[in-house]
Amino acid sequence: MTSLRLLSVDPSDRGSQRCRLGPGLMSELGLSLGSPLLVSVPGGSCLCTAWPRSDLAEGFLQMDLKSSSPGLISQPPTHLHLAPGHLTPLPCPKLKGVKITVVVQSFDFKKHTPSRLVHELVKDMLKGVHVHEKHVVNLEDFDTEIRYVVIESINPDSASAGFITSKTGVEIAGIQTVRHYRSGLQDQNTVSLGGLEEVSASLREMLQLPLLYPGTLSSLGVSCPRGVLLVGPPGVGKTLLVRRVVGEVGASLVVVRGPEVVGSRPGESEEALRAVFQRARSAAEEGPCVLFLDELDSLCPRRTGSSTPENRLVAQLLTLMDGMNRSDRFLIVGATNRPDSLDPALRRPGRFDREVVIGAPTLQQRKAILSVLCARLPVCPTVDMAELAQRTSGYVGADLSALCREAAMSAIRENSKGSGEQAVRMKHFQEALKLVRPSCLRSSLGRTELSPVSWERIGGLDEVKLKLRQSIEWPMRFPEAFVRLGLSRPRGVLLYGPPGCAKTTLVRAAATSSHSAFLSVSGADLYSPYVGDSEKALAQLFRQARACAPCVLFLDEIDSLIGSRSSSQTPNGVHTRLLSVLLNEMDGVGLKTLERRGTEKILQPEGAEESHTQEQLDCQEVCNKDVMVVAATNRPDCLDSALLRPGRLDHLIYVPPPDQQARLAILKVCTHSMPVDADVCLEDLATKTTLYSGADLENLCKEAALLALQEENMEASVIKHTYFLQKLCLSTCLSPRTAPNAAYIRPAHRMLRRETPSSSLRQQVFENNNNNKNGWIFPNAEKEKGADPSDRLHGFCCSRSHLCCLLLSIY
Amino acid sequence: MSKLALSSLHEALRKSFKSLGDNQRVWRSVLAECGPPMASLGNLAEQSRALANVQISNTPLRDFPDLADRLRFKLALATDAALGQLNDKMSSLQSVRDAVGNQVSAVLQLYEQNADGLDVAAVTERSAATPSVADMLEWLQDAERHYRRQYLRRKTLLQTLRADNLSLLESAPKRWKSLDCPSAEDCITDTLCKVSFLMESQ
Repeated sequence: MTSLRLLSVDPSDRGSQRCRLGPGLMSELGLSLGSPLLVSVPGGSCLCTAWPRSDLAEGFLQMDLKSSSPGLISQPPTHLHLAPGHLTPLPCPKLKGVKITVVVQSFDFKKHTPSRLVHELVKDMLKGVHVHEKHVVNLEDFDTEIRYVVIESINPDSASAGFITSKTGVEIAGIQTVRHYRSGLQDQNTVSLGGLEEVSASLREMLQLPLLYPGTLSSLGVSCPRGVLLVGPPGVGKTLLVRRVVGEVGASLVVVRGPEVVGSRPGESEEALRAVFQRARSAAEEGPCVLFLDELDSLCPRRTGSSTPENRLVAQLLTLMDGMNRSDRFLIVGATNRPDSLDPALRRPGRFDREVVIGAPTLQQRKAILSVLCARLPVCPTVDMAELAQRTSGYVGADLSALCREAAMSAIRENSKGSGEQAVRMKHFQEALKLVRPSCLRSSLGRTELSPVSWERIGGLDEVKLKLRQSIEWPMRFPEAFVRLGLSRPRGVLLYGPPGCAKTTLVRAAATSSHSAFLSVSGADLYSPYVGDSEKALAQLFRQARACAPCVLFLDEIDSLIGSRSSSQTPNGVHTRLLSVLLNEMDGVGLKTLERRGTEKILQPEGAEESHTQEQLDCQEVCNKDVMVVAATNRPDCLDSALLRPGRLDHLIYVPPPDQQARLAILKVCTHSMPVDADVCLEDLATKTTLYSGADLENLCKEAALLALQEENMEASVIKHTYFLQKLCLSTCLSPRTAPNAAYIRPAHRMLRRETPSSSLRQQVFENNNNNKNGWIFPNAEKEKGADPSDRLHGFCCSRSHLCCLLLSIY
Repeated sequence: MSKLALSSLHEALRKSFKSLGDNQRVWRSVLAECGPPMASLGNLAEQSRALANVQISNTPLRDFPDLADRLRFKLALATDAALGQLNDKMSSLQSVRDAVGNQVSAVLQLYEQNADGLDVAAVTERSAATPSVADMLEWLQDAERHYRRQYLRRKTLLQTLRADNLSLLESAPKRWKSLDCPSAEDCITDTLCKVSFLMESQ
């Protein structure tokens, strides 16, 4: 059979309940003129009477939606192809009675029209209409205030449909306004919400309490809170939450979007605002109602100056909110992501009684959101939601839904290539993770794309790697062990050592291996010509980092970024102010209320029946809620001592120049892409390059290659061992710029302080420091001048304990 | 069998169209008669508005006792009278509607009784002189719907008028006029023209 094309209804047929078919199809289905016919379309069904098309053409269908399912009222079907199987003849006996709900246009009509008249009019309008149970009869063509009639039940109820004659009794169960009815229709298709249970419970309570216990509240003399301000970063689901809760409670929703009420003429905006409140008031008379002011910051900015038009709008809103009396039973919900730019007068009890902070979702909340989002996706059962939640630190609800969409899209793309199976796997999520980045970091200044580096790419330095792993990786991977031993994640790590010894590369590797968010900041990001701007930028950086905790914040060359109070010439310079910000952020009194995320978790004692993974997640959440600062410097003496104390930069890790094994590994990496002659002995080179840093070694290889080109007139094809040796003789080892300067004595000094009780010794070092502003020097540095420099060097390149010994031997 | 049913149906249709023509004339004349009382209703509303706006005590008429109340009473009486006239007209409109409705339902019933004998091809068969049965039934239904709709709208307008809402009363003549639907009336006239051959063929 051919399919039928659905066309829009002919204007002259409006309100006739006719369904125009080809006469052939009519006789095929055994229909005569005016036989009732149920047409099923996606989203509902429609009851019509069959009628031949006036041009008698086949293959088309035009139907008047006089009686249709509620879903078709708001979205009439268009551009559809129907199979003839979708049309079913339906016997429609004459009805004895019908119970209906009347939907009228305006609240005024409902209030002032006597019910007798409504009954009379509706009865007249319904005469001769075929109705179906639970369908809505559209009466818009009569052009009166009565818009729809919802058929609640029919008598006799043996049939699902029937025909209304003048003898059919009509019983009106209730009268609603169109707005109320439509809002009720919309609520039926809301999406579920993950991870916001607590907030939605409190909202629901505020909405339902005055309805459920009006007597109790009035006898207690308590007025229920009537204003809630939702605060949170963009994309956490503030608007969705309100819609959802309103749908659950069955309240009607009046939405005000900031720019909609603002008009160009003076007084227009205020008038619009008053009209909105009036609308809410009339809606509240029918049932619970929520007036939702979205993007409140644009509607009510902080009042400045004297006579800007916004001030009048703010004043109007304030008076309207104050003017709400007890009989106005509607709740005002405001949503904003910039609460600080709101007028302070709004944020007091009586206006917005409660402020609910919805922070970026925590690990558990992300898991809940993901499971809600994935409920409708064909997700492969091997996908571990907990792991995905861990990988998505800093993602808000909107990001997560984008992530799921991207994953589904990549699955579709793969399927279209023909591998068949319809499932979203973990690899699709991993691809999507590369595309979708957390939106809270989108405007962040510290965001860096870094090329991944594995630990194996860094030769030697095993001790340093272990320490970095301890501080960054272990808290993520073994949270329960940390909790068991009462350990907490370190606040900060300082990497120091001579330049070119892979400090930055180490941090990159650490960031790659731990899946936490990684922010890196440089002076260019922070410094600004305006006073106070840099400090603000640093504080904001920390705020963002906390929003996507666990997070690693990397401050490279921290000595030049952050000053020291003792050494700087200007005590109130920007360096010092930045230092104070950093000190505060790392170990301050507490957080701003706006940064609250989830509820404070307290680990339950043992014995609670929780699955292992759940426990692990809990531990993780408790363990990793802070930002970890990783700093790198080659001049640790320039750092302020307050920064170096445990609690801020807990771990001081010395990154020494490479030892022989490491040098060999580095040389291998450097010469990997070079055509090296067979006689080149990298082991030999490694032994000869004592104290060379990684960068020096790389430079050596480059220089040797250049020398080869120079000697052989651009025709060199291999680099011979001699070139390496020549260059080795030319470049005095560990070029003067890397010659150990007094910087490394400072940490040594600190260690000294811990390990030797001799105060006189400490005093001596201090005095020397005071004499020489340029840095720390040995008390008997003059004596050392004649000594072999390599001896001196040797001392510095050993571990810290060696340095201590050296210092002690000097005295 | 089908010939017989068809001819009886044609007969009934002829009768219905004849009555439709008569009723159309009645409807038009009644509507025309509704004009003056409607206009006077608007006029009375305007007078009431003026009375509400004026402060009699500030005018030379202040010496007449209870003038405002008396005037209000008089105006209310006159409004009542106008509404009474309109109600009479409405009942004649209702009778037109009922007459058309009864005719149409009678024809439809006749068709339904004979529906088994008449297949779709027979009812959609047209000739130069006679439109098809389906078309004629459709036209009759359309006309019936038109009168029903018109009557309901006008009735709603009159029934929702309230003495305390002067603006509603004032705008009533305008709204009454806007309810006129000349295109639908023309449609009925067209229909009557289309079936004129059938009417004459008996």
